[in-house]
Amino acid sequence: MKDSGLYTLKYSFIVGSVCALLLTVVGAVTEPRKRANARAEEVRNVLSVLGVEFEAKASAAELVTLFEETIEVQESDEHVAYRFAGSVDGSVKPSVAIPLAGPGLWGPVKGFLAVDPELTTIRGVTFHEQEETPGLGGEIGQKWFCDQFKGKTLRDEAGNAGIVIGGPGAKAPNGVDAITGATMTCTKVQAILNKAIKRVVEDRKANG
Amino acid sequence: MADNQQMTCGPCAASAGPCDGKGKATLKDGVWTSNPISIQVLGVCSALAVTNRLENSLVMGAALIFVCVGSNLFVSLLRDLTPRRVRMIGEVAIIATFVILFDQFLKAYYWDMSKQLGPYVGLIITNCIVMGRAEAFALQNPPVLSMVDGFANGLGYAIALAIIAFFRELLGAGTLLGWTLLPSGFYTPNQLMILAPGAFLTLGFVIAFFNFVNGPKPEEESKP
Repeated sequence: MKDSGLYTLKYSFIVGSVCALLLTVVGAVTEPRKRANARAEEVRNVLSVLGVEFEAKASAAELVTLFEETIEVQESDEHVAYRFAGSVDGSVKPSVAIPLAGPGLWGPVKGFLAVDPELTTIRGVTFHEQEETPGLGGEIGQKWFCDQFKGKTLRDEAGNAGIVIGGPGAKAPNGVDAITGATMTCTKVQAILNKAIKRVVEDRKANG
Repeated sequence: MADNQQMTCGPCAASAGPCDGKGKATLKDGVWTSNPISIQVLGVCSALAVTNRLENSLVMGAALIFVCVGSNLFVSLLRDLTPRRVRMIGEVAIIATFVILFDQFLKAYYWDMSKQLGPYVGLIITNCIVMGRAEAFALQNPPVLSMVDGFANGLGYAIALAIIAFFRELLGAGTLLGWTLLPSGFYTPNQLMILAPGAFLTLGFVIAFFNFVNGPKPEEESKP
């Protein structure tokens, strides 16, 4: 009886349903908190790429409040931009951040790019979501890699929009060092950045 | 619950209790004599991955204790009802439920920890310790004893991880639970301990230590 097909089917159905029901309930109950955490994470990334100072241990609610007070969100039909008017004492200059997204070597890469309002220099780059090889491509998430972009120009000497990662272009005003052993990741990251840079530059042209 | 069981057990209760007198032995087995990490060398993937910081490995240990106790209890409760053909998939369903419960809890209340542990909490579903205890122990033993076994193995895992993480964080970063113990002027952190080789080396020492203190295994003694 215990090994009959019907019993097996019933058993599986009941065990499966109970487990599924339990997880659905827990998932639904924790949903608001998870969403608040994800929102705080996003806000934290925007604030840090724009150079806004905040306490490292700030709670989710504090971060969201700070974000809402200091950052102006501009949403057009498909793009979003985060505008920061600069700190009161002038130590942090005004800048605009846009989200970065695209394929890396192993999985999607997401981050933010901050530029000055005149679209001449990069104020900051972060990559908060990536699945690149730890120790090699994964270094794109590290501070040393992201910090290289600060102060680089958005255009090369001929005036073409874009940046260069690695190679002979690394010494140019729009170039940064690549990661040894992570050429593929660097190429993909460069493509993601350049797509975003070209878009903002062309948007600016179109809108005067 | 233990009291109830003793009442219903009648005459045998005084000596046996809910664990049939095997509680202590089971506990000792899981934590020490057949510690899942250092003696059986099971589930070392996560043990190597999350031990770069003591805090991470403590949370991971807590997760394993929770999952082992929960899954062992339910596998044991259902052991007489489970058809053999779907035995393992049933166990996996129960294990996965507990793992996801813990994962959701971390995501909701300890977001930073959840981010640091990354996929390793979810991967407890495939941890051989949990599945191994369900298969080898909970299927043959009553619920309370199975819970003790789950707890013992979870604790054994947690202790082994804590030992590894203690040395890795202390030597690799000069800190413990985020507190700086070896200031940078006096000690240069050894990056190797944070990276994968440090995990292998420390695990090797832990295995060597457990085996040295436990002495040679009985079956190895009888070999010519």
